[in-house]
Formats: sequence, structure tokens, C-alpha cells
Amino acid sequence: MTMRTTRNLILIAGFASMSVRATAQDPRLPARLDAPSIAAINALVDSAKAQGIPIAPLYDKMNEGMAAGADGPLIVAKVRGLSMDLASAHRALGALATADEIKAAAYAMHAGIPAVELGKLKKQSGLRRSLTLPFTVLADIVSRGVPVTTAANAIRSLVGAGAKDKDINDFQRNVKVDIEQGAPPAAAAETRAKSAAKPEKTDKPEQQNDL
Amino acid sequence: MPEFGRTTLEMIVQDLQRPVILDESFERRVMVRVRRLYAEKKKGTRGWTAVGATIAHRPAWAALLAAGIVAITTAGVLKARPQHEAVTSGGPEPVKFVLVAPGAKSVAVVGDFNNWGLNESALVATSNQGVWSVTASVPVGVHRYAFVVNGKNWIADPTAPRSSGDDFGMPSSALVVEDSTK
Repeated sequence: MTMRTTRNLILIAGFASMSVRATAQDPRLPARLDAPSIAAINALVDSAKAQGIPIAPLYDKMNEGMAAGADGPLIVAKVRGLSMDLASAHRALGALATADEIKAAAYAMHAGIPAVELGKLKKQSGLRRSLTLPFTVLADIVSRGVPVTTAANAIRSLVGAGAKDKDINDFQRNVKVDIEQGAPPAAAAETRAKSAAKPEKTDKPEQQNDL
Repeated sequence: MPEFGRTTLEMIVQDLQRPVILDESFERRVMVRVRRLYAEKKKGTRGWTAVGATIAHRPAWAALLAAGIVAITTAGVLKARPQHEAVTSGGPEPVKFVLVAPGAKSVAVVGDFNNWGLNESALVATSNQGVWSVTASVPVGVHRYAFVVNGKNWIADPTAPRSSGDDFGMPSSALVVEDSTK
């Protein structure tokens, strides 16, 4: 065997091994999940990769199902549902949305907020403002009974007024407490959004006009 | 052009303009391969000057070699191409989980940051007069988690936003960890 033939065989072997590695099972897939479910999740992950959507939430969902003792078909169904929500969220938010924003938006959609509302919020807020927390709070207050339109308007007014994540966290806590104390959810969200969107008071004393 | 279309186009252009960063091992891997080929050539009598003649005499092998180099380069670039999660998730930040549960015998924290407690990865909280707490390093980003009381009862964190993805009948909470360096 000549040197050149040996070299070429090594190259072929290296090339083949790369192909094998590319198709090997992802180590994040647990061995105890049944083979058809693993194949289905592999296909969903490949599809997600091809669409450019984050895949980590899919593995997280699978692990959650495993920890909850769910069977394979149910886990696959939930991973598929999340994959569809992630894809919709990705389309609605645009190419520059972060993985966390897409993930938070997918969970907000799961709570019943339409993708178009989330897209409007993203468009309004600009590219630099992360909407991970606003989307999370939006999902939370909807799950507490605030109507979707009211909740979306409240978050939109806060983001539009330049509210920071801390302000939106405070808004969520206040709405939660108000509802727990018996306030109608829609009224709680509207009232708290109005007060939170007002400009902050300064420490300077107000000017006296009657001097 | 409508404003929505223009904005989307701008987003795509900005995304495409991001530089592709190769991983640290890429250059080393390529150089190892190049040096090996060079050493083999050097052992022979003809050296690199005979590459043209080799291609002329063995076009199939030359094509295979080229395909191999392209494959290696592509694999390196694809591997080095930033993934969504790699770009957006920063380093871990300390997060303190607290649950008031005076009657509990044990409390643990499970979430997507520790594979939901699979393979004994749950965070075990300690009690101080019924106030259970544990501090853990959690990656920057949005997470879902729950408390596991007495090893079997999953409960959401009553002080945190609810998570809407309770697909398996287990309540959970949402957590947004911000990058403290920003």
C-alpha cells in the first residue's frame, strides 16, 4: 500500500466518522425513554434546529415530563406543542429576538396570549429592550384572570412608558396581591398599570407659585 | 415598503452581519491536518510542488480530498456558529429560593436549570424554624421551577410569577435571572 493510498484511506475514515458523529444520538436524551419517543423527539429537535428556534426548551420539557413520571407519548405530545409555540413565537418576534424572549413568548402563548400581540409588543419596544420579563408577567396575570386584551394593554403601556424590569416585577406583585384581596382582575391590572406608568416623583420639592 | 417589512428586513440584515466566531480548537484542528499532510508529502520525493500533477493523475482522489477539507471546514464553522441559547444566556447568577413550610420534613427545588431533579440533581433546602431556603447558581435567562415538599408534593413558589407550561399536572413558577454585569 502506497503512502498516498494510506493517506486517502485515513481521510475517508475521518470523513465517515464525522458523518457518524453528526447522526449520533444526543446525550441529553435519557436512555430510559422508549425508542419511538426518542426518535420522535430527535425529529422535533432536528426540525427546530432547521428553523433556527431554540432547542434547549424542548429538552427541558422532556426532562420535566420524565421527572413527573409521564409516559413517552405524552412527553412527545407536549414537546411537539412547545416546539410549535416556539416556532410561532420566533416568527412573531422576528430574527433578532433572543432565545429567552422566544421561550418566554412561547409560554405566554401557552397561557392564551396570541402571537400577534407579542409581536406588536416587540415591535413597539425596539430591538434593545428585552421582553423576557414582560412576557413572563403577561402570562402570569392572564393566568390570574386578567383578560388577555387588558393584560396586553397594561404591559404595552408599561413598556411604552419606559418601565424597567423592576417596575414590571412590582406591577406583577401588586396585581397579584390586589386579586388575592378580592379586586376584579381586570380592574387591578388597569389601575396598577396606570399608576406604574406615571413618571416617578423626584426628590426636588415642588415649586411654590404663591411666593 | 410597509414599515413591518422594512423592520423585518433590517433585523435580518443585522443578524447576517454578525461575525462568525470560530471556536478555539478550529484553527488547531486544521493546522494538525495540514501538518500531517505536509509531513507525508515531505517523506515522499516530490513535495508540495507535485500537487498539480497529483490532481491531474488522480482527479477522483483529489475531489475526495477537497470534499474532506470542505466538510472539515463546514463542520468547524457550524460548530462555532453561535446558537441561540449560547448567545443570549450569560453566566450563572446566585438565586435564593425560599419557601415557608413549617410542617414540611424536606424541601427541594427542581427546575429546568437542574434537569427537574433527574439523577439526584434536586437542590436540597435547609430549614430555619420552618423557613426553607437554598441558594444556587442559575444561568441568566428565563426558567421554570417548583418546590418538592416531603419528596413527593410539587408546589409552585407562592411569591413568584406563575408559569403557564404545567403540561404534566405539576404546578411551577417562572424565574427570570438577569445578568448582574449589565
